[in-house]
Amino acid sequence: MSRPKPLVAAIAVAAVAATALSACSSSSSSAKKTNGGGGGTGGVFTSIDANNKITAGAPMNPYNASPNMFKGYNWMQLAFTKNDPSDPNAVLPGLAASWTSSDSGLTIQLQPNAKWSDGTPVTAADIKTSLAIAYTQGTAGPVASAGGTVVAGSNFEVSDVKDLGGGKIEIDQQPGVKNLYFQRLVLTATIVNDKVYAGQLPADIWTQIAAVQGTDPAAASAAADKLAAEGKTIAAFSPAKDVSAGPFVETRVNPGEALLDRNQYFYAANKISPKQVILRSYSGNQQIWGYMNGGELDYAPYTSMPTNILNQVLKAGYTRIDAPSYVSASIAFNEKQAPYNLTPVRQALAYVIDRDAVTKVGEPVGGITAPTTTGLVGSQSDSILSADQKAALNPYSPDPAKAASLLQGAGFTKDSSGQWHLPNGQQWKITLQTVNGFSDWIAASTIVANELTAFGIQTTAAITADFATYQKEMAAGKYAVGWWLVALGPQTDMAYARIYGSADGYSVTNGQAAHDDNAATNWEHTPASYTVNGQSIDPGQLAAQLSTTPVSAQQPIIAQLAAATNQELPVIQIWNYTHVMFDLDKRFTNYPKTGQDDLLANPPGVWMMQGYVQGK
Amino acid sequence: MTAFARRLAGKLAAGLVMVWVVVTFTFFLVHALPGKPGDVQYEQYIQSGMNAEQAAAKVKAIYGYTSHDSMLSQYGGYLGKLLHGDLGQSISYSGVPVSRLIWAALPWTVIPVLSGLLVSFLIGVTAGVVAAVRRSSRWGGLLTVSGSLFAGVPAFVLALLLLVVFHTEWNLLPDAGTSDIQYDPGWNLPYIGSVVQHAVLPVCAYALLSYGGWLLAMKSSVVSVLGDDFILASELRGIAPVTRARYIGRNAILPLFTVLALSFGVMFAGSFFIEDTFDYPGLGDLLLKSIGTRDYPVMAGAFLLITVSIIIANILADLCYTLIDPRVRR
Repeated sequence: MSRPKPLVAAIAVAAVAATALSACSSSSSSAKKTNGGGGGTGGVFTSIDANNKITAGAPMNPYNASPNMFKGYNWMQLAFTKNDPSDPNAVLPGLAASWTSSDSGLTIQLQPNAKWSDGTPVTAADIKTSLAIAYTQGTAGPVASAGGTVVAGSNFEVSDVKDLGGGKIEIDQQPGVKNLYFQRLVLTATIVNDKVYAGQLPADIWTQIAAVQGTDPAAASAAADKLAAEGKTIAAFSPAKDVSAGPFVETRVNPGEALLDRNQYFYAANKISPKQVILRSYSGNQQIWGYMNGGELDYAPYTSMPTNILNQVLKAGYTRIDAPSYVSASIAFNEKQAPYNLTPVRQALAYVIDRDAVTKVGEPVGGITAPTTTGLVGSQSDSILSADQKAALNPYSPDPAKAASLLQGAGFTKDSSGQWHLPNGQQWKITLQTVNGFSDWIAASTIVANELTAFGIQTTAAITADFATYQKEMAAGKYAVGWWLVALGPQTDMAYARIYGSADGYSVTNGQAAHDDNAATNWEHTPASYTVNGQSIDPGQLAAQLSTTPVSAQQPIIAQLAAATNQELPVIQIWNYTHVMFDLDKRFTNYPKTGQDDLLANPPGVWMMQGYVQGK
Repeated sequence: MTAFARRLAGKLAAGLVMVWVVVTFTFFLVHALPGKPGDVQYEQYIQSGMNAEQAAAKVKAIYGYTSHDSMLSQYGGYLGKLLHGDLGQSISYSGVPVSRLIWAALPWTVIPVLSGLLVSFLIGVTAGVVAAVRRSSRWGGLLTVSGSLFAGVPAFVLALLLLVVFHTEWNLLPDAGTSDIQYDPGWNLPYIGSVVQHAVLPVCAYALLSYGGWLLAMKSSVVSVLGDDFILASELRGIAPVTRARYIGRNAILPLFTVLALSFGVMFAGSFFIEDTFDYPGLGDLLLKSIGTRDYPVMAGAFLLITVSIIIANILADLCYTLIDPRVRR
């Protein structure tokens, strides 16, 4: 018999001792409240809030920048967005059971049994306080230069909240302002308890809001400053305990996890199966993969992963759920730097890069090769563009001969060793910039660099230390070619604003876009106008126009922008992301399935409100 | 004033000057980092569906803690607050006092690092003595190799290895966090047991990583002492081996004592890699997050704590040295 290795033995002994200490004492007075799986109603649902890393000492305040609050569980809204590209105002009910929109605003009917976790009812005062707070947090007005008419779908302008009795509440939009997305923006605003938060607001908050919306510029400016100062007080506020109108209420947060108990007063408590929810902290993708390998999570949010990890996760019993993701990974150009100001150069690069091969390495699980570049993800452009418009798009299938021809046409030359030279005779070298920590971009960069180098353009991948530095240096115009996310939808105006909006030096005043060549921008695009199909268009102006155009009338504008983007290639879309999630049908069952996009756009707490996720 | 008191006063004065120098240096250093607070959050808001104007307005509202005063004015304000014990307010946590964040993270660095440090010191020093005394034997060679190996393995490799073996493969120990959330924090057995259970892997990682250094340093020191004349003289005079071992130990451990004292100070820096691997939310983790979000007050606060603890440890080591080594007092 061999003697145990000292190191392994020591750790094993420590482990066993600690486990014994923990396990043996679980029968004491402070034993675990509950554990294990579902079993009808009850059990612990374990997951991760991908948007919210848990930090000890952070407040239970949804207005804090890094709160220990969890949307859909104890962080409530009147409704939750469906992320529906055909109707950006479409929502799932939350604290509001129903609603009707009009030109002057919105009337909502609260859920009949809507209550806070302290047993008191949700009232119009809660809604009014919450919408006033939104004004201090930058999510509601003021809308600069609204022009008194239709404004971009950014901030909502509430002028008053009236209690009509019986749980009916009227929410008025500022007279003269018409925001296309007012309904969704109001319904998806955070709702907090008036008794907890009202003390943080001055008594004359609505007078200040009225001043901001008024016609006196000096009074509006002074009131805006006061609101901003009050916003800081609200954001830093740390309530002593959680008072939740959601299905769960936060019991405890330790440095690595948050424990939420079922809210017995929740308006649809009978639909909520888990007795408790544990949300775990994580420090990176590997941590999530580790949890899943051990079958510890009932639901795992999207995490970038290679194929071998996907196989491990599936083997551990997880089911993959796919939902649309309106984001596309792309290679962007700074068109202020030669030769990227030349359209044929960008087109040639698109013909050289094999997007399929790059996607297989960069994002094999959560990516679908972009069929072409339009500024929108493939599924969205497919659903909006007509068959003829789609047929007219150039797919930029890999074609080195075409690329060579385009480059030669632009004055580039190829030497005897196969290396391309710029029109001025210098050898063409590309540095493809990416960011530390973005594993998919980094992996994909290697393939792109290999492909371009094999074509005769010496390409190296460079990594910036972190994203904050990337943004700073990008805005300073330090990078010529780099990775960037585009097609941020589902609102098409947002998707095109990403390429032709403020990030590109455009500002919109009274519906008119103007370009500032000296603005600190992300990836500079020049010129300001394109000639597409014989017609001169201003993409910045069209993108601005989209934001004030109802979805039903957007198609012709999108067709122009898609054609222009496809022809001019300010970016080359490489892959479109898919929102891949995983559920474990072991302790709980009845999860939403692929195809239920409206539910899958939200966290599991929202699914539970609708009766999903039941104990086994 | 006694010589000791004079010495103490001198050390404290020098320590204060050093703290001021480091505070000044780190203040300007952290502000010189490229990027600014809110940049990363702005991008996240954009990706979550906000348009540029709304994201900018929200960032302005919640990151309003970023001062727009001149650097010199900010520095003056920072020093003024510091003198009153105020480390300022976090930017990325919207005004939460920095001291609260540091205080919350502190135990989760001190507990595992201190435990790891003491365990590795005891084992490393003992193994170092054996490796020196038996340096010609197989055991001595093996111990020296083990010391070199653990001193050379990168922290993240060792931490991942422990994680894979003791969690993924054998499922003996938890992989992340500080305790099981379902136990009430406090002086109760289930909670303490859970804390111990969660601390085993990080402590082992810290201990193994520093074990090699102690072993090699002690071995080298013992070998050096073994060659001293007084050891030869004690052998010739027939002094008992146990007594000689005490002579050797007391003399050989002196250089390590300084390193140990400094290690107590360095301990407050935690270990980014270990805390990251085990998602152990200590000071290293907090500092890493604050750098990513350009949370200057938290960065400055964490650096200050690390600096002050190292300086205090240094002063204590100096003072204690005079007590344990009579030669220094002369």
